[in-house]
Amino acid sequence: MEYQKYIEGRKAVITCKNVCKEFDIRDRKQAGSFRVIDDLSLSIYENEFVVLFGPGECGKTSAINILSGLDRPTAGSVFQGDTQITRPGIERGVVYQSIALFPWLTVMGNVEFGPKARGIDRTQSRKRAQELINLVGLQGFENAFPISLSGGMRQRVGIARAYANDPEVLFMDEPFGALDAQTRYMMEEEILRIYEHEKRTVVFVTNNIEEAVFLADRIILLKSCPTSVKQEYIIDLERPRSYTAPRFLEIRQKITRDMDKAL
Amino acid sequence: MKKDFFSKYTVISIISVTLFFVIWYVLTAKMMIVPAYVMPDPLKVFGALLRKFTVKTPDGATLGSHIAASLQVALMGFGFGTGLGVPLGILMAWYKTVDRVARPIFDFLRPIPPIAWIPVMILWLGIGTEARAAVIFMSAFIPNVINSYTGIQQTSQVHIWVGRTFGASDFELLTRVAIPSALPNIFTGMRLSLGTSWVSLVSAEMLASTRGLGYMIQIGRQFSRTDLVLAGMIAIGILGGLLAVILEKVENRIVKGRQGYGK
Amino acid sequence: MGNKTVNLIGKNSMRIVLTLLPIIGFLILWQLAAMFTSIGNLMPGPIQVIESLFISFAKPLGPHTIQMHALYSLKRVMVGYGSAVVTGIIFGVSLGLSKMFRALFRPLFELIRPIPTVAWIPISILWFGVDEMSKYFIVFYGAFANVALSVYMGIQRVDPVLVGAAKMLGCSERQLTFKVVLPSCIPYIFSGMQVALSAGIMSVVVAEMINSYEGIGWNIHAGQQTANMTQVLTGMVALAIFGLLMAAILRQVERRMCAWNTRNT
Repeated sequence: MEYQKYIEGRKAVITCKNVCKEFDIRDRKQAGSFRVIDDLSLSIYENEFVVLFGPGECGKTSAINILSGLDRPTAGSVFQGDTQITRPGIERGVVYQSIALFPWLTVMGNVEFGPKARGIDRTQSRKRAQELINLVGLQGFENAFPISLSGGMRQRVGIARAYANDPEVLFMDEPFGALDAQTRYMMEEEILRIYEHEKRTVVFVTNNIEEAVFLADRIILLKSCPTSVKQEYIIDLERPRSYTAPRFLEIRQKITRDMDKAL
Repeated sequence: MKKDFFSKYTVISIISVTLFFVIWYVLTAKMMIVPAYVMPDPLKVFGALLRKFTVKTPDGATLGSHIAASLQVALMGFGFGTGLGVPLGILMAWYKTVDRVARPIFDFLRPIPPIAWIPVMILWLGIGTEARAAVIFMSAFIPNVINSYTGIQQTSQVHIWVGRTFGASDFELLTRVAIPSALPNIFTGMRLSLGTSWVSLVSAEMLASTRGLGYMIQIGRQFSRTDLVLAGMIAIGILGGLLAVILEKVENRIVKGRQGYGK
Repeated sequence: MGNKTVNLIGKNSMRIVLTLLPIIGFLILWQLAAMFTSIGNLMPGPIQVIESLFISFAKPLGPHTIQMHALYSLKRVMVGYGSAVVTGIIFGVSLGLSKMFRALFRPLFELIRPIPTVAWIPISILWFGVDEMSKYFIVFYGAFANVALSVYMGIQRVDPVLVGAAKMLGCSERQLTFKVVLPSCIPYIFSGMQVALSAGIMSVVVAEMINSYEGIGWNIHAGQQTANMTQVLTGMVALAIFGLLMAAILRQVERRMCAWNTRNT
């Protein structure tokens, strides 16, 4: 019931239908395939902040790769609006756990990379890049190389870079997984601030329940490998949320109880 | 697997190599574009290689005895260079005093290419086997010391702490922790040494010897017997490759639990 | 801040003194040994060698002064090494990017590669005669494989996540090659160039020892032929300086071009 009310009047941006993914195993002894995703179906609606939450190594990254178009499903299909997603495209942006900045480019160079590759007018793309750099709070670091930045600062660049193409959907694959706890808390607040400022649909992957409840409008709980949707939760807490509020802890406990135990 | 073996590209590779020899043959034997003293045809070269096993002209020995002479010196020099170089590198990295004494001499010798020692050794030891062995020794010694040294120095501090907490003595730490963890580096040093030894040996034989493969190709040139020169080069290439393969087999036996690519 | 800087300078000079001290000790020991023991019959002391090095700047060794010899060697290295770097990069990139190219040339390359550079010297003389061309060829051969293999390895180790990120940002295949794959290979290119440089210098020295009338290699060889140990050692010192200088220049170039790869300390 709650779910029906939630999706009422919302446009589905990403629709994922019966997606399966298998990887070939090549070993000296045996050949076969390994199933990571088993019949995954889900919808993601306009401008919502969805968290894909699941136990470690359950196939979340494979799911993100398929949703973003970097990888093809073995069976099933993914649509963005009415068009099927078959390859990477600028309508979707990705923020990575390994951050994956181009180390030979400056902060500005990284943020400008997408618009430049598309051949957008230089002055215009520079202006937009500067705007985003300011938004993520890195003004003054435009000409710094990634190696001289801290982990948190690097991921800010990663976020700005993903925004630079103005994608409809942003996928964030455990973006704060490599950061220390303090920086992580700070970045969680930052990402919400950026999200409020530049409204986009965000699909955020994490294996941290606290992070999931803190950020999400909706949490999609995934089964352990081979993965599919186990349960969905609408998180109707007011923002800014408090990690220690009774309701917060209650939701957190409930989801933890529902979750498959990883090995 | 089978499909891979007969892939399009394997066929192309086979054609490419065959074509190389066919073109070589046609250009030299059929079209006579280049005279035989510049480039004999491949059949002549392989013929010369086979015949040389029994024929002693023009350099006074069969291929077998040249190979034996080369191998003997190479293995002797490499053996001593490794036998002394590896322990010295280890001791230099582990004991400060050894480092203080040996390091400066070492920094002095390092930038000198091993073959530059050939004249020195000839002046000191004459043009006999000793001079050549000494040159090979220098060639093998230096890379061995450097790589063992860095290998021990890179021993992870955590591993040493673990050893300490189990009450290992300093010497036990060296033999049980540092040396095993430095083995990949030590073998890298040995591989490099083997390569440079073989090169130095051929150079030394070309400059000062009456035996060995280097001598054989040098004489071949003086008699304009290009077929012999090429046959000698092939023998040198095959033997050098063979030695490297043997060392790699030994390495795979000894070094276990390695991370990274391949195998 | 000011205090810290002073401290750093102090530490640095201490370190320099600490590294120099044993070397100076070694030189003194060598000098004493050459003066007072039978080692003196085997080789001259460092003072004599350095003296002879300085004298050779003005007074020719054989046909040329030592700096002219060095220039001859330098020219050979530059021509052979320069062309090896250019063609090696192109070859390595093609190997890495094109399956077809790899299928065509990798086996031939692997067939020829085990033959060490020096073994090519006699045939290069038969092919190109005794003049410069044969030396260029030898240096080229010595350097080429190192550059090519290093670049090839660099291409194989391009981070797939980086490639994915570029694709997501709208990179075409062509842009991918020039904007992602090649830049991320630059450190590998430089490390290949460093190894190739020492291989190239080594090659030029053997080539000059076997077949030349000038160059640093000739110097060393001529010293041996006239049983002049001082000249041999002078040549070796000159060679060491030559090699270190070239490597240092290359490192500087790398530092300039790869500022992003090393933290500025």
